[in-house]
Amino acid sequence: MNFPSHIHTNFRFTIWLVTAFGTLGLFLLLTACTEPPTDAFRFGLANAPTNLDPRFATDATSDRVNRLLYERLVDFNDAFEPIPALAVWEQVAPTHFRFYLNPNRASFHDGTPLTAQDVKATYEFILKAENASPHRGSLAMIDHIIVQDEATIDFHLTRPDLLFPSFVVIGILPAHLIQTNHPFHSRPIGSGPFSFVAWPDDTRLELVRLEDQQRFEFIKVQDPTVRALKLLAGEVDMVQNDLPPELVTYLTKDPRLHVQRSPGTNFSYLGFSFEDAHTKQGLVRQAVAHAIDRERIIQYVMGGAARPAQSLLPPDHWAGAHNLRRYEHNPEKARLLLAQAGFSPSAPLKLTYKTSSDPFRVRLATILQYQLSQVGIEVDLRSYDWGTFYGDIKAGRFQMYSLSWVGVKTPDIFHYVFHSESIPPNGANRGRFRSRQADLLIDQADSTQDTQEKKNLYQELQAHLADALPYVPLWYEDHVFIARQDIKGFTIAKDGNFDGLQHVHRISL
Amino acid sequence: MFIRIFLPRMLTALGVIFGVVCMVFLLLHLVPGDPVEVMLGESAQPADREALRQALGLHQPVHIQLLAYIKGLAHFDLGTSLYSGRPISELMLERLPATIELGLVSLLIALVVAIPLGILAAVKKGTAWDFGAMGFALFGVSIPNFWMGPMLILVGALWLGWFPVSGREGAGSIVLPAITLGTAMAAILSRMIRSTLLEVLTEDFIRTARSKGLTEWVVTFRHGLRNALLPVITLLGLQLGALLSGAVITETVFSWPGIGSLVVESIHRRDYPVVQAAVLLISCSYVMINLFTDLVYTWVDPRVRIQKS
Amino acid sequence: MIFRVGIPLAVILLWAGLAILGPFLPLSPNSIDLSNILVPGSVQEWLGFDDLGRPVVDRLIVGARTSFLVAFTVVAISLVVGSSLGTLSAYLGGWTDLAFVRVIDIFLAFPGILLAIALAGVMGPGIDNVVIALCVVGWVGYARLARAQVLSVKEREHVHAAVAIGAQPIRIMMRHLIPLISAPLIVEASFGIAGVVIGEAGLSFLGLGVQPPAASWGSMIRDGTRYMLVAPHMVIAPGLALMFVVLAINLLGDSLRDWLDVKSQTRKE
Repeated sequence: MNFPSHIHTNFRFTIWLVTAFGTLGLFLLLTACTEPPTDAFRFGLANAPTNLDPRFATDATSDRVNRLLYERLVDFNDAFEPIPALAVWEQVAPTHFRFYLNPNRASFHDGTPLTAQDVKATYEFILKAENASPHRGSLAMIDHIIVQDEATIDFHLTRPDLLFPSFVVIGILPAHLIQTNHPFHSRPIGSGPFSFVAWPDDTRLELVRLEDQQRFEFIKVQDPTVRALKLLAGEVDMVQNDLPPELVTYLTKDPRLHVQRSPGTNFSYLGFSFEDAHTKQGLVRQAVAHAIDRERIIQYVMGGAARPAQSLLPPDHWAGAHNLRRYEHNPEKARLLLAQAGFSPSAPLKLTYKTSSDPFRVRLATILQYQLSQVGIEVDLRSYDWGTFYGDIKAGRFQMYSLSWVGVKTPDIFHYVFHSESIPPNGANRGRFRSRQADLLIDQADSTQDTQEKKNLYQELQAHLADALPYVPLWYEDHVFIARQDIKGFTIAKDGNFDGLQHVHRISL
Repeated sequence: MFIRIFLPRMLTALGVIFGVVCMVFLLLHLVPGDPVEVMLGESAQPADREALRQALGLHQPVHIQLLAYIKGLAHFDLGTSLYSGRPISELMLERLPATIELGLVSLLIALVVAIPLGILAAVKKGTAWDFGAMGFALFGVSIPNFWMGPMLILVGALWLGWFPVSGREGAGSIVLPAITLGTAMAAILSRMIRSTLLEVLTEDFIRTARSKGLTEWVVTFRHGLRNALLPVITLLGLQLGALLSGAVITETVFSWPGIGSLVVESIHRRDYPVVQAAVLLISCSYVMINLFTDLVYTWVDPRVRIQKS
Repeated sequence: MIFRVGIPLAVILLWAGLAILGPFLPLSPNSIDLSNILVPGSVQEWLGFDDLGRPVVDRLIVGARTSFLVAFTVVAISLVVGSSLGTLSAYLGGWTDLAFVRVIDIFLAFPGILLAIALAGVMGPGIDNVVIALCVVGWVGYARLARAQVLSVKEREHVHAAVAIGAQPIRIMMRHLIPLISAPLIVEASFGIAGVVIGEAGLSFLGLGVQPPAASWGSMIRDGTRYMLVAPHMVIAPGLALMFVVLAINLLGDSLRDWLDVKSQTRKE
């Protein structure tokens, strides 16, 4: 195509326009950020940590990162029994515990040594009401703290509590920085095996492993598909949990990755209201329990990555129970129970089932809705954004809902969830469950100072709860850890924490 | 000319903006039940509810609320986000560049595709080229962007791996969203260019140009296109509106951190003050863009100029 | 001719037929079979299953029902309300007309379905709110068109004659004005249907429309995008259905407009 020369002048304007747009576009493209190359180990997260100050952090991700940055007096073993971390302890008297700090303990990342003064300063800060720490409630039994010497510290309690050591699990902060109101939430300084490097925005947190100066980056990638793709592309080296089971199956087949699984303790359940005419009937709750087919859901929807649950605490917890009553999948029995309760095909039971808008929860709810419809229960499914949903269940505005308990370690959870005095806002007894027997067992179990008696009482309590069914238990989700083939050494923890990163290393393939 | 033509149009636009402000203000009152309860979800104490009610001025009579709202807008105070507690104007400024970037690149793609396509179809009217081009345009208009986006992701990111799946990082991340957003506009523009070019090419002055012995290309481009492009400029202004509202869905599909995805996120979080502010911002931009193209068209069209002088 | 009218008509009639017959067909769109989760298409089950083991074909048909129901309801209401108001305003003229034009301008200041998204978002999810939101946004186009048409037709001789005889305004509007303007309105309505189908799907895609377990092409696309990596059939099927129906409507609308244009042109000559 040969244009005569005078065409060019007519094109000039168009060309100018296109060039102008083009350069503008190019400029905009280049100003978008790009990924810098790195030899850090990149850990993909669904949610970014929100607060690196252990006195205030409550969400699981922040908690897990803080375990890397700070050390605590006490930790837990696989049966969730308290074991020494920074300190060993002895119970000098029923209300007096003495902790001896490990002589080989690490110093803080700013070089100052960790002493009993720091422990005292950390806990006293939390105990002060005006500091509004969310952990204050769990430490309410502390009356006063006395420092004996650099490595010995006494806790005096207001009442005897055998389980007290399980509660002093907060990361220790340096006292001199607490005094100067150092912003730990964004610039953490602890004594843990990892220290803080940078946190430019909520998509990237950089830590360094002190042992070998290996850098770690925690990258937030909300969308599970994108996270999986980044893993495949090598932009992220490892992820743990928060992936839909289908994606896990897909990733398992890829030769570039390897998958580790481990039983977990995240407990999923259906909650019921004891103030609603229908759901307060035991027959109704039992019918629901028999109508749902948990095994099938676990097998097909979760890819086998869960264990059916009978109680809030898993059986391998030191206070866990065995041989609890099971509600096997039995639609016939469910229909019988409903008939006993006065419902029939012409007058079916209608229930409202509330859930958050999380896609997996909605999916699960739709499945349960269907399973319940098979025995004649008509379920109206309502999904809400988290704020509305949480508000509704706290206020008791529901018949049935589903949720999970994450990070349960100590059996005082029973008091928090099932005691009649724990109705919100005083606790998490959202269903307004009131049982004299449960209250009695909880009070006795909480107050006894004999370990074996505690175990027996908690077992009895869980047996009673399995009969009363304030919750229909669903399952404990497994933990799934997926990493690129050259990443080795990660052990999955019972509660899904990131401690395994201490031993992660890259091998050459 | 300014007083005769520009001023009345600018005043009309101002009036329209006032109307938009009133309607956006009314949005909050369309919430079923008590908007404060809905927004806080009762996760707060009664004291917090009262505080929000006071802050939003909901305890006052409606006309006072409206005045307060307008006063706030005049100071560029768009309120505070319920979700993050940050001033909304800050949020807007943060997310605006992403949307502008997406809009401009989409526009660029639309023009780059539509202009040659429209010219081709007009010049080769009735042939396979014409049918092919217009068929392509028809498809472009019929594919919803919330499906085209995922399809492009499927092919371009998952199967071919050429582009990132979503988000705004790296130079390649704008390609798929911009193609998604620009396609519908390209389709409409190409049809428009074709029809106006065809119309113009039948006019007298074209016949004059041809009879003068000028080659077909000069006739088409120098004489035809220039005149055909004028109504297209107006259409561009109108289509920019489709671009702005289309951005809401496209940004959501690609997790593009612009104002469009902010609207959807805020709706899901019941952060209605942000929804109000974002809708207001988008609509006012639309009005201003239309005013601008209207004025530009009026100024550029020599017929108008000659008439008025 | 076949391409422009025959095939599109066939496509639309097929889906419309399925939509109408829906409740009478042996469908199981909500029947969850967990062992079928994300199983792709085969000879028995053409389009496979979704993430809950529900057959995609059945859900597509139910989705068609949703789309057509919403589309016709919204277009019918918008058309009637919009053209009535537009005709009335053009007929009355004066300040009423001026005010009406301003109101139209204000509604048109909200680009595309932005206002519908905001309305549906604020009013809450659910298909009735979608219909309301789309009507609020949709009536304006018909009003503006009706008004413009009536303004141009108002001065015709037979209308003047009717006024001179002393006919009631309603009668004038019904018998003399509306028949003349109906052609462009019908064309607008046909494109309007396509717009509403996409609008409802878009709102459902954003989570503002149908609620689970109800099916809509838009919500099916959204659910499908979550499993694109492992089961692309879930997102491809509803999208293709949507695209072809809208394409068919647009093609028919184009043909309709050309046909009416030709008719009016030949009438003029």
